Order: sequence, then C-alpha cells, then structure tokens
Amino acid sequence: MSELSESILERTSKPKREPALLVLEDGTVFRGRACGASGEVFGEACFNTSLEGYLEVLTDPSYAGQIITMTYPQIGNYGVNPEDAQAKKLALRGLVVRDMCYTPSNWRSTETLPEYLTRNGVVAVEGVDTRALVRHIRSAGAMRAVLSTIDLDEKSLLAKVKASPSIVGQNLAETVSCMAPYHFDASELPASKVFALEPPAAPEHKVIAYDCGVKRSILEGLVRAGCDVTVVPWDTPAERVLAEHPDGVFLSNGPGDPEAVAATYEQVGKLIGNVPVFGICLGHQMISCAAGADIEKLKFGHRGGNHPVMNLLTGRVEITAQNHGFGCVFESLGPLVPELSGGVTEHAHDLRFWAERKIAPVVDNKRFGKIRLTHVNLNDGTCEGIALLDEPAFSVQYHPEASPGPTDAHYLFTAFVRLMDGDESYLDIDIARDRLAGWSFGRTPAEEKEAVNA
Amino acid sequence: MPKREDLHTILIIGSGPIVIGQACEFDYSGAQACKVLKQEGYRIVLVNSNPATIMTDPGLADRTYVEPITPEFVEKVIAREKPDALLPTLGGQTALNTAVELAESGVLDKYGVEMIGCDLAAIQRGEDRKLFNECMEDLGIETARSGYAYSVEDAEGIADELGYPVVLRPSYTLGGAGGGIAHDHDELVRIVSQGIELSPAGEVLVEESIEGWKEYEMEVMRDRAGNGIIVCSIENLDPMGVHTGDSITVAPAQTLSDVEYQRMRVASLAVLEKVGVETGGSNVQFAVNPVNGRMVIIEMNPRVSRSSALASKATGFPIAKAAARLAVGYTLDEIVNDITKKTPACFEPTIDYCVVKVPRFAFEKFKDTDDTLSTRMKAVGEVMAIGRTFEEALGKALRSLEDGHAGFGADGKALGGRVEESFESHVSRPTAERIFYLAEALRRGWSVERIHEATGIDPFFLTRMADIVTVEEALRNMPLDGIDADTFRLAKRYGLSDVQIAYLTNTSELMVRTCRKALGVVPTFKTVDTCAGEFESETAYHYKTYDAEATEVAPGDRKRVMILGAGPNRIGQGIEFDYCCVHASYALSAEGYETIMVNCNPETVSTDYDTSDKLYFEPLTYEDVMDIVDVEKPDGVIVTLGGQTPLKLAGALAKAGVPIMGTQPESIDLAEDRDRFSDIMDELGIAYPAAGMAHTADEAVEVAHRIGYPLLVRPSYVLGGRGMAVVYDADHLKRYMAAAAKISPDHPIYLDRFLESAVEVDLDAVCDGDEVYIGDVLEHIEEAGIHSGDSACCTPPFSLSNAIVDQLRDTATRLALRLGTVGLINIQFAVKDQTVYVIEANPRASRTVPFGSKATGVPLAKVASRVMAGEKLADMGLPSDRRAFDHFSVKEAVMPFGRFPGSDVVLGPEMKSTGEVMGIADSFPAAYYKTQLAVGYDIPDAGNVFISVADRDKRSIVPIARDIARLGYQLVATAGTARALKAAGLSCTVVKKIHEGSPNINEDIADGKIVFMINTPFGHETRGDGYELRSAAVRHGVPYATTLSAAQALATAMEVVRQRTLDVIALQDLPQWGI
Repeated sequence: MSELSESILERTSKPKREPALLVLEDGTVFRGRACGASGEVFGEACFNTSLEGYLEVLTDPSYAGQIITMTYPQIGNYGVNPEDAQAKKLALRGLVVRDMCYTPSNWRSTETLPEYLTRNGVVAVEGVDTRALVRHIRSAGAMRAVLSTIDLDEKSLLAKVKASPSIVGQNLAETVSCMAPYHFDASELPASKVFALEPPAAPEHKVIAYDCGVKRSILEGLVRAGCDVTVVPWDTPAERVLAEHPDGVFLSNGPGDPEAVAATYEQVGKLIGNVPVFGICLGHQMISCAAGADIEKLKFGHRGGNHPVMNLLTGRVEITAQNHGFGCVFESLGPLVPELSGGVTEHAHDLRFWAERKIAPVVDNKRFGKIRLTHVNLNDGTCEGIALLDEPAFSVQYHPEASPGPTDAHYLFTAFVRLMDGDESYLDIDIARDRLAGWSFGRTPAEEKEAVNA
Repeated sequence: MPKREDLHTILIIGSGPIVIGQACEFDYSGAQACKVLKQEGYRIVLVNSNPATIMTDPGLADRTYVEPITPEFVEKVIAREKPDALLPTLGGQTALNTAVELAESGVLDKYGVEMIGCDLAAIQRGEDRKLFNECMEDLGIETARSGYAYSVEDAEGIADELGYPVVLRPSYTLGGAGGGIAHDHDELVRIVSQGIELSPAGEVLVEESIEGWKEYEMEVMRDRAGNGIIVCSIENLDPMGVHTGDSITVAPAQTLSDVEYQRMRVASLAVLEKVGVETGGSNVQFAVNPVNGRMVIIEMNPRVSRSSALASKATGFPIAKAAARLAVGYTLDEIVNDITKKTPACFEPTIDYCVVKVPRFAFEKFKDTDDTLSTRMKAVGEVMAIGRTFEEALGKALRSLEDGHAGFGADGKALGGRVEESFESHVSRPTAERIFYLAEALRRGWSVERIHEATGIDPFFLTRMADIVTVEEALRNMPLDGIDADTFRLAKRYGLSDVQIAYLTNTSELMVRTCRKALGVVPTFKTVDTCAGEFESETAYHYKTYDAEATEVAPGDRKRVMILGAGPNRIGQGIEFDYCCVHASYALSAEGYETIMVNCNPETVSTDYDTSDKLYFEPLTYEDVMDIVDVEKPDGVIVTLGGQTPLKLAGALAKAGVPIMGTQPESIDLAEDRDRFSDIMDELGIAYPAAGMAHTADEAVEVAHRIGYPLLVRPSYVLGGRGMAVVYDADHLKRYMAAAAKISPDHPIYLDRFLESAVEVDLDAVCDGDEVYIGDVLEHIEEAGIHSGDSACCTPPFSLSNAIVDQLRDTATRLALRLGTVGLINIQFAVKDQTVYVIEANPRASRTVPFGSKATGVPLAKVASRVMAGEKLADMGLPSDRRAFDHFSVKEAVMPFGRFPGSDVVLGPEMKSTGEVMGIADSFPAAYYKTQLAVGYDIPDAGNVFISVADRDKRSIVPIARDIARLGYQLVATAGTARALKAAGLSCTVVKKIHEGSPNINEDIADGKIVFMINTPFGHETRGDGYELRSAAVRHGVPYATTLSAAQALATAMEVVRQRTLDVIALQDLPQWGI
C-alpha cells in the first residue's frame, strides 16, 4: 500500500501492520496485511463457511496443518471469550480473512481477536479477496500454501511451498493428542456459558475418550449427557482401556489423513464388540478404517455450519457442522444385503440414491458383520454416518457438538447414552425435541416469580 | 413427500393496496407463489385489489379477481371458483386477517376449502399475544413482562407494576399501528385510548420496556416433515424502540457469539413448532440485553413478511417460492436450491458479504406530524445494499435513498430535521435523519462511547462508522491529483462514492471518475450464491465491490438491454414503476434480448433474480450505473420506465456515450423545460393555462397579478408534487413563499393559472415516431388541483363527450409526435368550459400505466418496450384504440394519514397517497363503490351523515345532500351548512363546532355516532375546525370525503348498490391482448 493510504488507515481502528503474502503451490498469490502473529507458516489452504464461531473454528485441533480462510468477510466482530476455545493450544497453521475487527463488541468478550492470535502465535492476514481464494480452491482443489509476513518474495515463497510436506500421509493426530490421560467432568464446564445452558445431567456413565485432537465441546457434550469422561492419548492400547471397564468408548475428531492414524484404528478393531463405541469425524473414519473401508480425499472438503444431512432412519434432515477433508467410501465396506436394503443389489456411488428413497441400506462387512448407512450428505451424496448392527457401535462424520454451528444433531449424544444403556433403537430420536435439550432460554415468568419469592 | 394430488384449485389472497407496513414485498412473494404453483400444475385463483402488481397480470394466475379483499368479496370468488385450498400466508396481514375471518365465520367449511400453509389455530397462536405468551412459557422462552389492558385504568395498574417506560401494543393491527412507548402517565393515557380504538379486539398489551436492547430477526422455514432451517439472521442497527421496518438493519447478525446465535436459532425453530406453523416461512424477533445476554422474544409472524423479502434478496434463497411448494406437500429436501441448481433447498444459506437495509421516509409530506421513530412503522419504502463489508454496504445504501445524500456524510448535503432542535437531541432522537447526524457527530469529534450512551447503538457499528468518517476527513481538502490508486481503493472500500470524494476534494464527480479510472481503480463484481462460493452458481445475481481484481461477470454475446429500476418506494414513485420495468424485462426477453436489471429496492419483483437474465443489486446513481455499463456494455439502456430515478440520469448517461433506448434525453428536456414546452404548444395551437416564473418574492406577486388568481404555485424542483399549493390571493401567495418554497434566483418558483372546477384527465399513449396508440383516457373524479396520484379516476371516461375525447386524442397524438417520443407518454389535461388545456406532458411511463393496462387489456409497458427496441406499432396487431368497452374501471388512491397523526388529510396538489386499488364493474358508480370497499370504507346502510362545507360549496352540496337523505340517512350539519340545507327544504340536525362547546361534532365522531362525513376545506384555513374534524375522522376510521365530486360519486354509488348486489369479475373474462 502507498504511504498515503497507510497513513490514513492508521488513523482508523486498524493499527499499522506489516504486509503479508499468501502463496499457493500453483503460484497463485494473494497480498494483504498481517493481523495476528508475525512469521511464516506452511499448510493446506482450505476454507470454512460458518457465519459466526470464528474462535471455535480456529481453535479446533482438527485444523492442524491447515491455513484456514473464513468466507464471511468481517471476522472478530464480537471479540474473544477464551472459554469458547476448543483447545488450549492452537493447532491451525494460519488464518486468512477479508477484514479483521480490532474493536469488537460483545458482553462476553475479554480481548480482541488480533490480540488473541498474536498471543497464541497464529500468523494471520487480512485484506485478501477471500472469495476469489475460495473460488480458486473450489475449482483447483485444496492445496499447499505458505503464509508469510517475513519473506515477501513471491518466487522464494513458491519454491518453499513446493518443498513443504503434503497433508496426505501425515499423522497430525499425534501432534494434537494429550500426552497423558486426564479426567473431564462437570467442574470443567465453562462459567461463561451458564447463561445459555442447563446444568449437566448426573454422571452415570463412565466413558473413555480417545483424544486424536478432541474438541472441548465434545467432552462438554458428553458430560452434559451424563458421562464421566477420562481422556486418553490417541494410541492408548485397547487392553488398557478395557481394563478400566468403561460403559463406553468415544473416538474423537482429529486432523488430517485417517490412514496415517493406524495406531488408533488398530485399537478400535479390538474395542468393537467389547464395549459400546461412538465416533465423531476422525472417530467415524477410525471405525471405517477398522472395518477395512477405503478412505477418499475430498476435493476441497466440508467445512462450515450449513451442510444438510439426512438421517435415513427417520427421513429428517439435520443442518450440521462439518470439518473434514477425508471421507469413508461406503461401498467399500462390503456388498449390500438386499433384503435389508429395500431389495437393491447394486451400490450407488452417490448416496443420495438412498436419501431419495428413504432407505438405510445395510452391507455385509467382513470384519464386523452387518453395517448400516445411517446418514447421507445431501449436498454431494457422501457418507455421513454408519451404525454396526451386530456390535454396539456407531459413528458420524459430522459434528453433533457443533461449536460452531447448528445443534440439530445434539441427539447423537443422547443416542450414545442410550446405546450404553442397551437400547436397541438408540438412534430413533425426535430431533426437534432433543434439539431443545440442554438450552436455557431464560426464566419464564413463573420461574422468575419463584426466584423473586425465594 | 411429493406434492399433494388431492388439490386442484388453490386460492391465493394478495395484500391489496400499498400502505405503510405492507408494501410491494407481497407482490414479490405472491407473484412467486403464483408462478411456482402454476408450474406445479395447480389451477390458481387470485384475489387482489391492487392493479399495480405483477401478480395480478392475467397470465400469472388462471383466474384473477381485482376485487376488494373483504370476506364478502372473497366469499363470492370462492362460491364461483370452488377452490380446494386457500393459501393465506403470502399476502401479508391483510390476507391472513381475511382468511381468519373466512375460517371463523364458517365460509371455508361451507365450501370445503382447506387452509394450507398455516391453519387457523396456528395463526391465532402467532397473532394473539396471550396465546403466544402461553406457548413461550411452555418452551421456557422469555417474553417481556406484561399485562393486557382493555381500558385506560387497566393500563395504569399494569404500568404502575412494571414501572415506566412501558411499551404499548394494540392487538391485531397492521405494522404495529397504534402502538408506542409511554414514558409517563400522560403518554400512557394518550396511546392506550387510541390503541383500544384501533385494535379490532379493543385490547392493548402493556409491556416492560426493553428499549435500548439489541434487536434481532430470524427468518425461519419449516416443512411438514418437521425439517427446519434459518434462512437469514438480521441485526438491527437501531436498538429496541424503533419498529424493525423503520430500523436500519444488517444481515447477517454481526455481534452475536456462536453460543448466543445457536441459542436463538434453536429457540426460533422451537417457536415455529410450538405455534404450529405446519409449513412455510415465518419471522421471529428477539431482543437481547447487551449487558448480560438475556434474550426475550418479541413476536413472530406465521407468514411471509417484509423481512422475508429482505432475507430472500439478501441471501438469494427464495422464501416465498419455497413456502408455496411446502404448502402443497413438498419437503425442503425435495426442493432444489434455485441458485446453485445442484444442492437441495434444505440448508442454511451462508453469505460472504454484508447486507444493509435502510428505510425510506416521507415526513416532508406530513409536515405537522411527530417525526420521532417509534414502535409504529412510518417508513414508506426501503433500500438494500450489498458490500463486502458493513462500511461499504452502508455507504451504498445511503446513496441509494434518493434523498440527496451521497453516502454517510461528507456530501455537502445540509442536515434536515427541526431547526430549533439541539444537535445533541438530533443525535439521540431516532429520526429519518439521525444516521446523518451520527456522521456529523463523529466528524465533530464525539467519541464512540458518547454516541453509544446517547443512542444505544452497538459500539460495533459506531466504530465502523467512525472509521468511515476518519477516511472522509483524511481526504477533505486534499488535491484530487494527490490521491493515489491505493488511497482511492481505500476510500472505496470504506464505501465512499465519487460524489463524496468530489465534495471532499472540491472537484466534480466526473473528474473523480476520470482520475480514478486512469489510476486503474475500478470495481469488481461478485455473485450472490447462497453458499459463499462453496458451489458453482448458475444464477447471475451480482453486486459491486472494491475487492481485488477477480470479477465474476462478463458481457454476454446476445443483444443486451439494461433496464434501470425505480429505487426505493416513496410517495409519488411506487410499485407502478417497478411494474413497468418488470414488463420491459419480460417483453424484451421474449424478443431475444439479454435483459439486465439494475435496482436497489428489495421489496420488488424487479429485484427477483429470475425476473431478468442478470440482476445487479446496486444504487441507481451515475457512478454505480456507469460502472455496470463499463462491464456489460449494453446495446441500449431504458431510462423511461422507472420514474424520476433513472430519468434524471438520462442526460448524463447520454453525454457519456451510453445508448439510451426510446425517447431521447433531448425530447425529455423539451417536455420538462417550461419555456421550450410552451413554444411547442404555441406552435401546435394547443391551449395551456397561463403561466409564469419568478425569481424573487416581489416578482412572484407581480407575475401572479398578471396571470390572475387562483394560482397553482410550485418550486422549480418537483417530485410527486412536493411543495405545490393552490393560492387564492396575494396574501396567501406571500405566506406560501415564506413557508413552503425557498425562492431565490437559483430556485425560482412557477406560477400557473389554476383552472378551478375543471375536469382533469390523464392520458397514456405509446408513440413509435410515426404513429401514436392511445392506451387509456382516465377521467378524474376529483376536480383539477388535486394531485393526479391522489385522485380517483375512471376509464373509459364517464362524463366526457365523444367530441372532447376525440380532441384529447388528437392533441395527445400531435404532441407525442412533435416531442419525438419513442415509447410511453403521459399527458395531463384540464377540461373547462369545453376547452381542453394541456397541463403537462411527460414522455415516460406514468403511475397509471399498470392500471390502464389492466383496464384495457393491452400491456402498455410491454408495447412501449418493443417500440423502444425498434418495432413499429403497426406490426404488433394491437386492437383499435377506439374500441368500446362494456366495463368501467376505477382507480382510487389509498392515503396513509392514519400513520401520521397531526397532519392534515385534505387533498391538494401535493401527492400523499401510498397506493391504489381498482374496481371493475359494468357501471361507473358500481366500480367506484368497489374501490371504496377496497380501501376499507364500509358505510353502514343507515345512520348520521355529517356535512360541513366551505362557503363556495354551499350551493353545490344541496343535490348531494338530497341524494343522501333519500337513501335514508339522517343529515347532521354545522350551523352555516345547515342553513343552506334547510333553505333547500332538507331536514337536518344542527351540531356545534368544536370551539362552540360541548356536545360538539368531535365528540359525536369519537362516540361513533357519525357513519360518513363530508367536509371541504375553507380555502387556506388548514388549522381550523375542519382540520380537527378530518383528523378525528381518520383517527376513528370514519369514512370521509373532502371534495364534492368524491361525495357525489359516493352518493351515486351507494344508491346503485342499494338496487342490486355487486358481482365479481375475473380479468380473464375481459378482453386481453397478449403481447
């Protein structure tokens, strides 16, 4: 920027900051200004379409190894409440926004987003035509990128980015997993959300959660549903877990290529059949991998808070929060069982085939027996959830804990509890009723009167 | 679930005339519904009294009834058409209320009509505050603490408990009419007593004040499988206390953290389920305490609303279309997203831009009314703007308003509002002008905190505004050539217009544009695609931004025509012009053109993304239009269909080399320049009223003396007759110049001889350069002097002789040809003593084109568009314009006086109406009577008719009074009028005037003892008894006439109606020419 424009900008709410450069591996260049920490970072360029919840996005450990672009142009508007963070340590490589807010406004905010990013060492850039970047990724696919405030030479950055490692084949889960087991219970629930949420249910189920980069709100979701949770590292041997006699095992979300996380899915193979298992996102892929499924890398992934997913058992559509770049190929789980699949004998690659017919097909899996497709993404017909019929296990590719995003799929936490209770029809839950569970909308006049009288 | 096969015929009720709180957004939603349901194979029957709507085009429904939207008339339509279902959720509150009445009275059951989209119980739960509050209590969602009052005493008791201020909401009124905030006991008494009268249920809700809280709206959709989505969240910039229709609003919500937003989302979905909205769109409003996040639900509308239209335009998600499909049985996952054509409609749109809506007001028309914005909506229109940031969108929105502003301050435009008011008060008091006072306060160095204290506006918005002002001030007095490319780009990203930069650098807009483009600073165009770029989009819906170079538009390879829309609705320029623009798009598309629409009004059909091949949602300024011209390079631009807005750009566009289609700017100037126009009329031997112009007050008196009184006077710049008046003598003229029109050498006033008691006639015609086709001849009911937009009119003429009509046609033909018209022309005539005078000629679309087209069955705007594209009238196969009609069509204006307490209701040369209705029947009186029913007049068969007329009318009132007495009414009159009546042998009761003590006529009106009132104003005495009387009539909903001609027409109509019942007529039964 010219000196004059710099000097004018300095008089606004934006401070003077150094230029920053984003270079993609195909040579595409975007220029902007730094708005977080200074530095140079490499990662996979991807985008998230959530309108709000930027803090939850950028603290999600599943973004390890990635440079994330927010499609909504003005980010940071309501500041930062650290209790909204999904992990203590930030795992993403960098953040790209169109316009960063230095003067946020919200009663829950304790600091600005740029302050938070700087404090946590996250390199960030603003002033980028993020829509152009998104359209580029959409057509060219997710790719490696470098974001730098140090080196502003396009050629040099391009050479560096070409030499940087690809996200495929990297085990990123181990980089964000906990080092030692720890306990997570109601005392961990954040005080700053009490205004909106009911107190948790009594802890009646002992759950061990594999941490491949678990989001805090998943643990909160389990606790609110009545679980007492012990979090263990990603590669904890199944034997050690079973020795604790948990009521259920939870498989967390996590970053990157699931096939690189063998030490987890190998354990999953030993857990299934011995204890009820529930997996979210990478956890879903872990169960799929354990069942011998093929994993595909999506062109540019699902990242946002508006993906429609149909529950094939109820025909109801959930608006879901999503964050994944890899997915399970349902047809690779085994041949269809026609008598349990509406008489259909041939797999349809586009799973919307089943959504249109409201059929939840079942395959015969070599490892675990019958597996049912339970959830389908209506945007692109990919697999969003499966349930094992011969063993107590189910998983979804998307995020019932939302954070950020719509909470339509909250019922899956309830379903896990019902599975642990031995309920056969554990997934048959009214979304609309369950969606209300756990929220506190405020005091009704009657409650208010009671409170005043007390 | 597939669509229902058990339904065959569906009845859709429209929203009737444009009124404040219910504007053309319901034409947009209703038109969408008609289109998709017809596509789905249903037979559509439509009732809507508003002729200026696209939905009442005979092609859109199978049976179109332009009839009063009253239970009585809708029942007649039901009896004739035997619909299987009634869809009441797309025609605003009017349709919903009518549907409720039909359901409650058993009409729907009697004819076996099923209400679809929303059932009676759900409507009641949504609309009845008590039932609604119970539902919310069940859900645990807080409502503001409150109680119901059925009397002032009730209200006092509740207010004492809650503490002042309290919010007052009368039940079942449109757009919150009659509501308000009471800060003390006096205000409470005043508002409650009014509110109880206005509420059909005689009920007012007294509520704790949550004034100053943040306000949000959620646009929700639900299907019968129970799937629910949020289409859009909206945050109001003006905090609680200002009606959302009067607030500046922003989409998406800007200052909610995820946990707060998701809680609101879940609550919104739960509200729909609880209220029982089976399918369709609803709007749920919340208030949030900025200090602790306490969330209170304000209300929900179990129907498509004004905000739905805004949300549809803001996101690209067609709520009304989807709602119509859901009502016939589809589920959201079965509907395809119209924009991407790839993904289902069952998702929540995500956007990658910011949308700002700014309301448009018309307080200048209602001088003596309080202009403070409150919970009672007063805006007459709105604009929407899209930018990549709030700053950019705000700047665009403010320059779209068409009120002389070029952005957020820094444009040299003087601040409006009351002169005597302090600056501090201008900042803190919410008014139409307040947003500009915020800019000025920031310029004067007020801190964000101080403004937040004064206004309650969230600091987020204020900081963004402070940044805009900072950038503006940095540019102030800089030399233009000192501004480099980066700085230009910076200014543009903060929403500054070229006009603002020109003002700040003391240069001209054209110089700024030239410099800017020379430096390569040009905008890019992005796409509204519902998905923030995640999927490819098939729909060309664009906006402009100053982002990087990546632009998403390119000119097509077909012949392209660009149509400039009409901008925000305001009094004088409403839906009629949008109708014409939409027709142009349809007609030229059919001729093989690629059509490009430019407009900034989110309520309209023209800004529906599938009306034209391409839509640019942009302000209609020179800069914004030229930027689009630069990328689209159209073969022609149409400027004559969107009213004044595009017309005033015509000259500059032509000068810039833009090809203007049809009538050229030179011809427009010929008609508008009074001297040149007079020369032409002299040349053609056409009579016109004596006229003159004056640059000083003394000169004005002199000119007036020469021409002779009475005179029609007006300032040189006129829109919708603003600032016009009839003056009767020199004193009056002086007073006018002192009060209404600033006279100066730069701003002369015009003086025309006023033809008292002349019959006024409007004529619309199309000229192709060789030939003229007379579309309609409209005889006004009110005599000359009443603005043509406020006057009722009838076609074919009901009292003019054939000889006179022939003379009008001949004059119009000669004039249109001489002016070089290619396209539409509207000519206003006055006929006095068998002489035809031309008052004015406008070679452009007029307000009456839609009405005329419906009345005659010839779509004039389409004909004109094809003529502008080069076709000849002779080749179009039009019916003879001298054909006889078997039916009469009457247009009546709808006045907004109920919204503006304190303003006088007398009609005059200044236009004040917001909308119009149409009545069709086999005689003039019957058609006229239908229009009176359509505007809401329902005169009982017996009772007291009160008459009080000016001295000059005392002789002419007698036959009218005689007719009224013969119909069985009792006459009541003030002393003077009574004397005239008694002298003519009519018996009448004398009643006291207000100043004569009690009991007086005002009390009679308040007590409901008067069923109809005739009161003509006493010259220029606007502040006397008459004013009080007319205000009382408006307040108490007593039908009234302020002209003798209207009173005569109504008396005749009542007589005709007594003799037989009125039948309903479908447009499809009248001759229609599909062009």
